[in-house]
Amino acid sequence: MKRKLRFIMFLALAVVAAALAAGCGGDDGNSGSGAGTDTAASSEPIRIGASLPLTGDFAEPGVAAKQGYEIWKELVNKNGGLLGRQVELIIKDDQSDQNVIVSDYNALIQKEKVDLLLGTFSSLLNLPASAVAERNKMLFVEPAGGSPEMFSRGFKYLFFAQQATSQHQADLFAEWVTGLPADQKPKTAAYVIADDPFGGPVAEGIKEKLEAAGVETVYSKVYPPETVNFDAAAAAVASKKPDVIAQGSAGLADGVNLIRSLIKVGYSPKQMFQASTPSFADQYSDAVGLKNTEGVFYAVSYHVDSPTPGNEEFLAAYKAKYDTDPPEDAADGYAAAQVLQKAVEEVGELDQTKLADWLRENKVDTILGPLSWDETGAPEQAFLLAQWQNGDEEIVVPEDAATSDTIVNPKPAWSN
Amino acid sequence: MTQFVQALILGLMIGGVYALLASGLTLIFGVMDVINVAQGALIILSAFITWALWKEVGIDPLLGALITTPAMFVIGWVIYRLTIQWISGRPASTSVLLTFALALVLEGIMGLVWSTTYHSSTPGYVDESFRAGSFYFPKAQLFGCAIAVGVLAALYMMLTRTWLGRAIRAVSENVSSARLVGVNARKVAALTFALGVATTGAGGSIASVLYPFLPGSHYQWISRLLGIIVLGGMGSLPGALVGALTLGVAETMTVTYISPRWATMVPYAVIMVVLLARPQGIMGAKLREDVVV
Amino acid sequence: MTTAEAGPARRTGVPGFVTAHGWRVVVGLALVFLMLYPVVSDDLYYQNMIILSLLLAIMGSGWNIISGFTGYVSLGQSAFLGIGAYTTALFAVKVFEGASPFWFIPISAVVAGIFAAVVGSVLTRTRGHAFVILTIAFLFVMQIVTLNWSDLTNGNHGLSLPLPLWNIDYQNWPFYYSLLGLMLLSVAMSWWIRRTKLGMGLIAIREDESKAASVGVNTSVYKVLSFVASAIFIGAAGGLYAYYLTFIDPRGMFDIVVSVQVVLAVLLGGRGTILGPVLGAFILEPLNEITNNEFSGGNERLIFFGGLLALVVLFLPRGVIPSVAELWARWRGAGKAALVGARIERPVAVREADAEPEPAHGTGRSLLEVRDVSRRFGGLRALDGCALEVEEGTITALIGPNGSGKTTLFNIIDGTMSADSGEIRFDGAPIDGLPPWERAHRGIGRTFQITRLFREMTVLENVVAPLRSFSWRQLAADAVSGAEAQRAQELLDFVGMRAFAEQRAAALSFGQQKLVELAQILMLDPRLIMLDEPAGGINPTLVDHIVEMIRELNRQGKTFLIVEHNMPMVLGLCDPVLVLARGSCICRGTPAEIQRDERVLDAYLGEHYVADQQAGVS
Repeated sequence: MKRKLRFIMFLALAVVAAALAAGCGGDDGNSGSGAGTDTAASSEPIRIGASLPLTGDFAEPGVAAKQGYEIWKELVNKNGGLLGRQVELIIKDDQSDQNVIVSDYNALIQKEKVDLLLGTFSSLLNLPASAVAERNKMLFVEPAGGSPEMFSRGFKYLFFAQQATSQHQADLFAEWVTGLPADQKPKTAAYVIADDPFGGPVAEGIKEKLEAAGVETVYSKVYPPETVNFDAAAAAVASKKPDVIAQGSAGLADGVNLIRSLIKVGYSPKQMFQASTPSFADQYSDAVGLKNTEGVFYAVSYHVDSPTPGNEEFLAAYKAKYDTDPPEDAADGYAAAQVLQKAVEEVGELDQTKLADWLRENKVDTILGPLSWDETGAPEQAFLLAQWQNGDEEIVVPEDAATSDTIVNPKPAWSN
Repeated sequence: MTQFVQALILGLMIGGVYALLASGLTLIFGVMDVINVAQGALIILSAFITWALWKEVGIDPLLGALITTPAMFVIGWVIYRLTIQWISGRPASTSVLLTFALALVLEGIMGLVWSTTYHSSTPGYVDESFRAGSFYFPKAQLFGCAIAVGVLAALYMMLTRTWLGRAIRAVSENVSSARLVGVNARKVAALTFALGVATTGAGGSIASVLYPFLPGSHYQWISRLLGIIVLGGMGSLPGALVGALTLGVAETMTVTYISPRWATMVPYAVIMVVLLARPQGIMGAKLREDVVV
Repeated sequence: MTTAEAGPARRTGVPGFVTAHGWRVVVGLALVFLMLYPVVSDDLYYQNMIILSLLLAIMGSGWNIISGFTGYVSLGQSAFLGIGAYTTALFAVKVFEGASPFWFIPISAVVAGIFAAVVGSVLTRTRGHAFVILTIAFLFVMQIVTLNWSDLTNGNHGLSLPLPLWNIDYQNWPFYYSLLGLMLLSVAMSWWIRRTKLGMGLIAIREDESKAASVGVNTSVYKVLSFVASAIFIGAAGGLYAYYLTFIDPRGMFDIVVSVQVVLAVLLGGRGTILGPVLGAFILEPLNEITNNEFSGGNERLIFFGGLLALVVLFLPRGVIPSVAELWARWRGAGKAALVGARIERPVAVREADAEPEPAHGTGRSLLEVRDVSRRFGGLRALDGCALEVEEGTITALIGPNGSGKTTLFNIIDGTMSADSGEIRFDGAPIDGLPPWERAHRGIGRTFQITRLFREMTVLENVVAPLRSFSWRQLAADAVSGAEAQRAQELLDFVGMRAFAEQRAAALSFGQQKLVELAQILMLDPRLIMLDEPAGGINPTLVDHIVEMIRELNRQGKTFLIVEHNMPMVLGLCDPVLVLARGSCICRGTPAEIQRDERVLDAYLGEHYVADQQAGVS
């Protein structure tokens, strides 16, 4: 009984505290909601808010993007800040949850009163988050979230800081495969497609182009993105003996597990493409075995050896802080911040509409390469085609960005 | 045909592991009338412990079962004494809510300790297979299935041949008559719960090799396990085996012949159909309290 | 808050800082605050917090109807949020592109209601664990279907709704006030349901479902209605929520964690109360936001909410409002508690009819006919070709050794159980296929060996609960109408329990409960009254009272079928006497005949009795 009483007391206190908090909020709530337009206090740091999936399903890329944002902040502040003001990052954890992310961006805009926003990771989270930003007329530069749905809504403040939307991510691969000499050109292909707004369209894009070029589809099935056991699916794929296997993978686990199941069933295709999984660097090669990475294709936005302007600086800072090569997602986060930085510097103030207008008209150099956008905020460039070769990630197409002058073809058999 | 047989093989091997994972849930329900929704989270916990032992100490994950099983027994006993024992006699929904709460807490703790990324124990044999003609038997699955069946057999022997087993069965049949013949029902309940949780030890160790996991994976497991024990008949150990094999095969067949995206539906479809049409499952007591009509 | 919750405060009558109207003032102030907040403050952060609290409160109110009132705990109620959200989104995106999503909110409510009617009519055939599991399965099935039916729902890619068109200066007012309105509506509906026959029936189902059916409550219809009522406002709120988020996807919309938050909010506030869900929501959602900003980590929040849920389930299962009310009542003193010890008045029947009892006379018509009824439990034959008749106007006794099948027969007659074979006819018509409440409506009333009153209801409410018929209009009638209350008072007078009318049934002694249960079934105005051991476990004076009452009721034309072990009572009161042994009726006769019948002595009293008699011992 005593315990019960104490608990009731605790609850009562919690209610009072909540009421007080609400009351206080009411008092200072009259300062206006035009967050971000106030540039008067120039000695104050510029506050930039973002909410990232630091836990939950998208934690892997979320944490990497946070690293990218933070490296950028440190470099900017070291070089004198933005518009002469120091930069402060306010990063929340949305737990990969859409309900939380709407609250988070509302809180960033209304409670934290941040001056600028940066986007979050994955299309699923950027879709609702960008709507909050749009409604509040805040510029929203996102480091990921290239699903076609993002750009069909006619948003004015949304910009995607990678080279292309997801259905075009593998264009270079499709072009390369269909351009092979007749005796090497594949005849059949299997598509293992995650039900994921980002990974799925990558495989759909390949399928569309390969079918158009006469490659027969012998297997095409969609799986839930959280699938971890592919034994039955791999057995079904293997029984069709496709020349090409293209997986629109959603993350690390599903990509790795399809390969492991293919190894178990003992089937190796001539060409193997995966959407994003092989870009997980060491995590990928550790999980599937370094030898088994040989010849696997993937599309990528960034490569550590890219000769892009600013990359050396980023690389050095990242390695100094985290003692490893940056994953692609960290570079994407950094690039998104670069886009924001460039717009602010060029416009010279924090007027969100002017920033958005400027981005629509101009090209920005980032560590991913130059980026420009169409009316909807979708980027107009192309991803790089990469391949694992001798235990390293190499860019193979386009030629001017290539880090290796050979392409492993056909893919060797699995190593055990 | 080859494809069908291969799918059947894979389904049966997965089913063997499912059976071990479901055995604890059905045991706890049969004796205590508690649906331990935290069972899935406990499996993941055991998988994490196995993974840590493998990564840090180098203990083979399947052998790790020897450590995780007693560890999970202790954890189960502690959980019972701290929480479950206080709600005996309260409505069915109470135990569901309480164990759901436990699952959330466990998920949070695992996330703090091991982070919320995918983990997987990958000893050398994990990607190897035995081959027989055009069929293949993945080694990890085969070993895992063998261990699972072994542990299940041991559990079954224990329940049928030992005093504790008889006491547990007496309590599950009728609490008050068990009391009459001198069985301390509360102690038996604590031991049963601990035993039920201990099965997640070996189960989690095997699962850590077969399925990459993260703290949130427990939702997938608990729904699958519920499907299994509902199908087999809640509270019945042989029922859990039959239900698990059936569900394993149903899943692989769905993946092979329909689509992987509908495979997640299988456990729920099973739950709905069985509970509405044949509430007692394949074998076992009737779970559904029928409403008068 | 219902009058039930207000009760403890009201009965004080003592001047203090909280008067009888204290809670009303608090609720009124809170409402004024909610109405004015967006006008007074333009802080969108807190506006967002209140919007989410309102959403949770609406869901909580809905859940409270099926789970708090009716007692069917559902973990799938957030499915209706998703159904509502997808309905509005699909209409706004695919059917009437360009129209304001607000137009489709009513459609969302209707669609959610239709889903609830279909699903509810299937799922409420189960209860306990099975029901909880099924609701979870329902939620996930909805999620998976929405995920995989991508042609319609766009699957995992989700649906984007248009952005709100109104001027940004109006902030989220349309959402805020729509949700506030919806919340008020749903609270009003809860309040209204609670004070109607429907609500009373739902509480009766929660307390004891088969008892409710046996006193004429059409439990099937009641349960489905409560499922529908619990879903429609959640559906409407889902539509608003979809527009508020401007983007929905299956995982976010059909989320078990949302269901659990709803449950937690209601448990926190007070399950089964009117305002508990609202209070709980306004505690939980701010906590949600605060922990989100303070912890900034999903793992810590999982531990916090999991822990909170566990603590509430373990230590505060009834919630804040009932617990506070109880503490308050205890602090105010015992109140009427002393009444439990009050004397039962001498029943009116006894006071009025002191004349010499005359034997009951049958009319010669058969009122109840049991033909060749059998029923097995596993290998045990509880009834084996049992056949008997009850003549109208008689007080018929049914005796037999323990385990001879008497209670099973009662259960089969009143429809609590079904027979494996055989036929039951009442007043000339077969009633085998009828549900228990239909049988009650036709005039069968039955008491239980161990009394089964609705423990949380007052004595008066218990007596008013039975329903003589079913009609849709009746559902909306006041739970306790003036005429009924008067009739109930008369019946309580008749059994001598009037002074206890406002007591909780659970507080009564066993004998008192028997009297109330008798009054309860008399409310049905039954033609056949079946009493299962009316004299069992009560003191001899009370037995005499009960005998008098039975005689009086019989004089008024009631027919009785009585199971009883008290032989002097049976022999003095009943004629004829039926004897049941090993599942079939072996003998029928006057008390005198029965006493002499060898078969009866043999079967009922056992060989020892016969042997003892022969030896001249007894």
